[in-house]
Amino acid sequence: MSSIESETVALSEMERLTAHLRTQIEQTKRGDGLEFEEDEEYVKLQTENTKLKHRLAILNKAIAAEQNAHGSTAVIKYQPVKLPSTVNEMISITEHLVDLFTNAIALAFPNLAGTQAIISPVNATAAKFGDYQCNSAMSLAKTLKAAGVNKSPRDIANEIVKNVAPSPLVAKTEVAGAGFINVFLKKDYAVHAIENILRNGVKPPACRKQRVLVDFSSPNIAKQMHVGHLRSTIIGESICRLLEFLGHDVLRINHLGDWGTQFGMLIAHLEDRFPNFLNESPPIGDLQAFYKESKKRFDEDEEFKKRAYNCVVLLQSGDANSTKAWTQICDVSRQEFQKIYERLDVTLKPVGESFYQSRMIEVVKFLASKNLLEEDDGRKIMWADETSSGIPLTIVKSDGGFTYDTSDMAAIRYRLEEEKAEWLIYVVDSGQSTHLQNIYRAAERAGIFNPKIHRADHVNFGVVLGEDGKKFKTRSGETVKLSDLLDEGLKRALDKLLEKERDKVLTPEELKAAQESVAYGCIKYADLSHNRTNEYVFSFDKMLEDRGNTAVYLLYAFTRICSISRNCGEDFSDLVKILDNRTKIELEHEKEWKLAKTLLKFPDVLVKISKDLLLHTLCEFCYEVATVFSEFYDNCYCIEKNKSGEIVKVNRGRILLCEATAAILKQCFFILGLKPVSKI
Amino acid sequence: MPHCLVTCSSKIFCKKFYPTFVTYIYAAVKSKMENQELLSQFQALGMSEQKAKETIKNANVTKNLQLALSEVKNTALGEGVGMLLYHMASKIKPQIIHELPLVTRYIVEKKLDNTLRVDAALEYLLKNIQKKGAVVNTKEFNESCGVGVIVTPEEIERTVQEHIKLHKDMLLEQRYHFNAFKIMQEVRAKLKWADAKSVKAAIDVEIFDLLGPKTEDDLKPPPKVEKKKEKPSTSLADKSSNNAKLAHPSNVSIDSSDGANTIAELMKNKVHFHTPGENYKTDGYVITDHTERLLKEHLKQTGGRVQTRFPPEPNGILHIGHAKAININFGYAASKGGVCYLRYDDTNPEKEEEKFFVGIREMVEWLGYKPYKITHSSDNFQQLYEWAVVLIRKGLAYVCHQGADEMKGFNPKPSPWRERPIEESLQLFEDMKNGKIDEGTATLRLKLTLEEGKVDPVAYRIKFVPHHRTGNDWCIYPTYDYTHCLCDSIENITHSLCTKEFQSRRSSYYWLCNALEIYCPVQWEYGRLNMNYTLVSKRKIAKLITERIVNDWDDPRLFTLTALRRRGFPAEAINNFCAQMGVTGAQISVDPSMLEAAVRDILNISAPRRLVVLEPLKITLINFPHDKPTEIEVPNFPQNPDAGCHHILLDRVVYIEKSDFKLDPEKGYRRLALDQPVGLRHAGLVIYVKEVKQNPQTGEVLELICECKLAEQAEKPKAFIQWVSQPIKIEVRLYDLLFKHKNPEDTNEVPGGFLSDINEDSLSVLESYVDRALSNVKVYDKFQFERIGFFSVDPDTTENHIVFNRTVGLKEDAGKK
Repeated sequence: MSSIESETVALSEMERLTAHLRTQIEQTKRGDGLEFEEDEEYVKLQTENTKLKHRLAILNKAIAAEQNAHGSTAVIKYQPVKLPSTVNEMISITEHLVDLFTNAIALAFPNLAGTQAIISPVNATAAKFGDYQCNSAMSLAKTLKAAGVNKSPRDIANEIVKNVAPSPLVAKTEVAGAGFINVFLKKDYAVHAIENILRNGVKPPACRKQRVLVDFSSPNIAKQMHVGHLRSTIIGESICRLLEFLGHDVLRINHLGDWGTQFGMLIAHLEDRFPNFLNESPPIGDLQAFYKESKKRFDEDEEFKKRAYNCVVLLQSGDANSTKAWTQICDVSRQEFQKIYERLDVTLKPVGESFYQSRMIEVVKFLASKNLLEEDDGRKIMWADETSSGIPLTIVKSDGGFTYDTSDMAAIRYRLEEEKAEWLIYVVDSGQSTHLQNIYRAAERAGIFNPKIHRADHVNFGVVLGEDGKKFKTRSGETVKLSDLLDEGLKRALDKLLEKERDKVLTPEELKAAQESVAYGCIKYADLSHNRTNEYVFSFDKMLEDRGNTAVYLLYAFTRICSISRNCGEDFSDLVKILDNRTKIELEHEKEWKLAKTLLKFPDVLVKISKDLLLHTLCEFCYEVATVFSEFYDNCYCIEKNKSGEIVKVNRGRILLCEATAAILKQCFFILGLKPVSKI
Repeated sequence: MPHCLVTCSSKIFCKKFYPTFVTYIYAAVKSKMENQELLSQFQALGMSEQKAKETIKNANVTKNLQLALSEVKNTALGEGVGMLLYHMASKIKPQIIHELPLVTRYIVEKKLDNTLRVDAALEYLLKNIQKKGAVVNTKEFNESCGVGVIVTPEEIERTVQEHIKLHKDMLLEQRYHFNAFKIMQEVRAKLKWADAKSVKAAIDVEIFDLLGPKTEDDLKPPPKVEKKKEKPSTSLADKSSNNAKLAHPSNVSIDSSDGANTIAELMKNKVHFHTPGENYKTDGYVITDHTERLLKEHLKQTGGRVQTRFPPEPNGILHIGHAKAININFGYAASKGGVCYLRYDDTNPEKEEEKFFVGIREMVEWLGYKPYKITHSSDNFQQLYEWAVVLIRKGLAYVCHQGADEMKGFNPKPSPWRERPIEESLQLFEDMKNGKIDEGTATLRLKLTLEEGKVDPVAYRIKFVPHHRTGNDWCIYPTYDYTHCLCDSIENITHSLCTKEFQSRRSSYYWLCNALEIYCPVQWEYGRLNMNYTLVSKRKIAKLITERIVNDWDDPRLFTLTALRRRGFPAEAINNFCAQMGVTGAQISVDPSMLEAAVRDILNISAPRRLVVLEPLKITLINFPHDKPTEIEVPNFPQNPDAGCHHILLDRVVYIEKSDFKLDPEKGYRRLALDQPVGLRHAGLVIYVKEVKQNPQTGEVLELICECKLAEQAEKPKAFIQWVSQPIKIEVRLYDLLFKHKNPEDTNEVPGGFLSDINEDSLSVLESYVDRALSNVKVYDKFQFERIGFFSVDPDTTENHIVFNRTVGLKEDAGKK
């Protein structure tokens, strides 16, 4: 018995030991208990290791920073801009001065070489502060201070002035106030530049020529054009004219809304209304009414709806009959549009959405091949960037159809890859801004759009408001038809002319020309003279005023300027000849000089607009020229007459200045779409 | 001659230039002669001999006075001029010392003919220097100190009459109890430069005129609290003559009596720091071309609000000394409606642990303060680095390769790299930052000598240690000297309050801010608070823990704040203790008993009473008068029955304190003995010993068999003692001083080092009995165990095991009995 007992005890003791060892092994595996072995050597090595790791991280970061810095210094390494020693034509004075002073800053402060000079024109009323100002000293002082160098802006300005190279444009520079550098223009330059206008016409400032595609107007087939399209059309046209003047290769594209589900119902309706459409053109007098009828049926008649969908499928698959019906509908619409374009003197090449049908299929394949499409509840979507934030583009709908996103992706691809455009300009209302941003980013992600070589601008604009400050509508609350609006413009313009009794002075032809010039001119000018990003109030009363910054005022002013040379009793038709006869532009009188300097701003204005595409700056420039001219005209005799009205003296130099003014204004008018008439 | 004018610094001067023994003696003799001469000169000014001697002891005033005297050489001084000169010499601040000749001239010319005008002149000049290099505008100066303004007796009389009229009704009603000082103030406000004595005299005359002689009622004390019997004229004079005492050489501005009962009171009544924005008026403040602008900007940013900061290093835990810093910084800001930052001074990347960050914040909040913002010095690493580059560019800092040992010591070798080209330092500093230079082989040093003689303090050193907040961003870390003032400036601190040891860094503090042209706060110093019989060094406490002498950082025998909390010290008591110590410049060393007294003051009114028996002795009552255990209602505060009560149980078996029974009582013993009954507190019983049960071997008393009588039937016993019935057991921890000597770190006192000075009996643990009523206590609940002391529930307490710490005994010597 006792042996069994002792055996049992021994066994349970062994079991206990086994369990104990097992837990110890487990603990050792986990590392428990090992950390207490405080080996001095081990601790030392561990500290050393931490230190080395830390140092390595620091060194790596320093290397990365240095490489970055080297990369950028290579670019920054300043090469002074080469500036011409003689200038005989109008150039952008601001650009010239920026280069001139950027060079001077680099010479005066080699550490800051490459810092671009800040140049701003001085208001004409503050002529004692020069004509332009370089305001770099203040910001340079800050930069230097941050780097531990304390220098007053005035000292900095003085050092810059010391380092300014002589320039054919600059008469003198002086430091004023806290550190402003005042720049005074040279009269010689002005004289040469203005003579150049008279000899060779108004020339654009130099710039790199690009292939530009301007997408504007873009109405929808079968719908009326409204004032929103009017804005896009007017702004787009002026941008094209400006870019063409600057020498760019401009594609004027009308991205017509000629594709989509609405055509199903239109075709179905056409088939019902004009069963014989395949053989003869259907007489759709009022496409608008036609559209409304079909829409009504579409909404109310389930059967019709089904047929309409069917028609879409047929059309998109290229069915001949459907295509014919579609073409007929589009033709009617396009003719309507064309009438308006002609009245507004607008040129456009229609490349509608339908054009991209095959390219949409292609672009879907292309995006899919790049793994950019994601399934989402039956749809295929694409995120504009990797972070999958914002709103995704819907590339394929759940029913397999395409969306605006698809056509816009296909269009941007076509424009950049096939049309080889370098610069895309979308003249579309501000509401589309997010959509367009999405398109650029998605195109960039897909490798279509490359910001390094491509430029894309959304020329956005605000809504048109009525005089009541609400959305522009007819009295009955309907959308204003564009043709009606133009008609009303014509009527109002005529009323204005009759009110001024111009009918008694002008021939009927002259009166009609004046009427159209005033009517269309004022509608365009009212639109362009407002900052396009703001909403603007459409008011015939305002735009037909003959005072202030209006088309009417400018047209009158221009006619008056042109009449001066006509009335001087001498022949000013050949300006080159007059110049060759040693007639000099003097610019002695303060107002002459002021007028000349105003005209010389023309290239600056164009360069600025080519950057921000804000045309109201050009309107402001026109208005400034007109007002400065009238100051000049009030103060300086061009033609001196005696009491009996006989011409005593003709101040030829001044008349040349008038001619130059007219030339510049004429060029501006052309860009703005104003048609000056010789008599008004 | 002028060399030895400065009596105090002349020794240093001589040492430098005449380093021989002979010249020492010469100098000593000479300065004694000088003193004789000075004494007579001063007496000639109208001082008593006593006063003149006292004045000579004050080097600063003496210096100023001598300067003034040298200005007026050979001029006969008019009546009273001498004392005005003395007044001026004692009040003029170092910032405007260059204007001393001007003020002296004005005094001698009697343009400044009383202390009022002299004070106004000094005030004007002080204000004027905010703009550096500002010239004194004579016209403004004259106007602001009323030069030439004569107030005629007629004018005084007329003005006094006007104002008496205004108060006529009150005067007639209150008669001589009316506070005439009010009229005095009003008249002085109108006639700024009128002679105070004349005004007082005029008022007295007019009042007499109105009221006639004093009646008996007038001579009685005023009916209500209005006890102010003002003597304005004399008090003004007193003030001016006493002002000499207030001219402290250091930025410590405190009234003569130091402490107050609470921090709020202390800050309100005893502390006189500068107003925000008037930094330039403080002693030693350096005015530069930018001072005026920077102060203006500073005020714009702070809106004139007081901003202080408490800047602990987050690598240890807070102790009683920090409590003073917290109270001064937070308390001062609070008293002025300002704000106080909690800034972790985490410039040192080593050993910063999360628990320290949390612990510090917890303790600040425990003391009842809320930081306006919690910031870290490391937040500013980038800015500090950029400023360092600016200093190098300005030629004010350089990279040095001396080792730490070379820089140490009494007379270190000057750095051979001090004059290296700026470009070279810039490059090397960048290399330091980028990890290209080995640890310990380069530092950035400032070109500056501290007051204590330390040359070119280090601003940056290399440490290849990741920082817990900036990670691998930096391998150069700024020093305290460099970081501290710049962080203060960034945070727009108005009063940079620190302990006296940093007084010698004040000049470097100002130098650095001014070199960088940034806002310069004002540093004010106060004395450190040291506690005797303990130590607070992080390293040494860590040693105590690893040696298992104490249990952890919060062992109640230590004086860390967590330890004090654990021991049961109320935060309020610690704050009040700090208030009592005051904000003087003197370093204070106090015994723990001072702090304990403050703790008793609080606990006495807040800790409810309980009956507890620490070392129980069983007593059986043979004639227990009740048939079952009875419940007794006991007030929480016997002196204040309204403050609630609790219930305890009385049964046949009770336990009393072993020490409350003696077999052989000494004379005067009042408690239980064989022939001496004792009362049981709150029980209404008096007990008489009938039998003593003892351990036959040891003689230890094991149990007493007693008879009892109801208290009303018995003769009044000599004493009542505490007792418990049907108790629960608790653990009680009694603490005593951890060290035997006052200064355990002082090797003179304790040659064997602090580890050899441990009091072996500093902790005793008892198993004690308490009534069941105490079974539901929470951690940190505090009680007074009647007749024993104050106790607090320890965090070690669990549901079944209650642990009490003795916070303090009832009386100072209670622990010893």
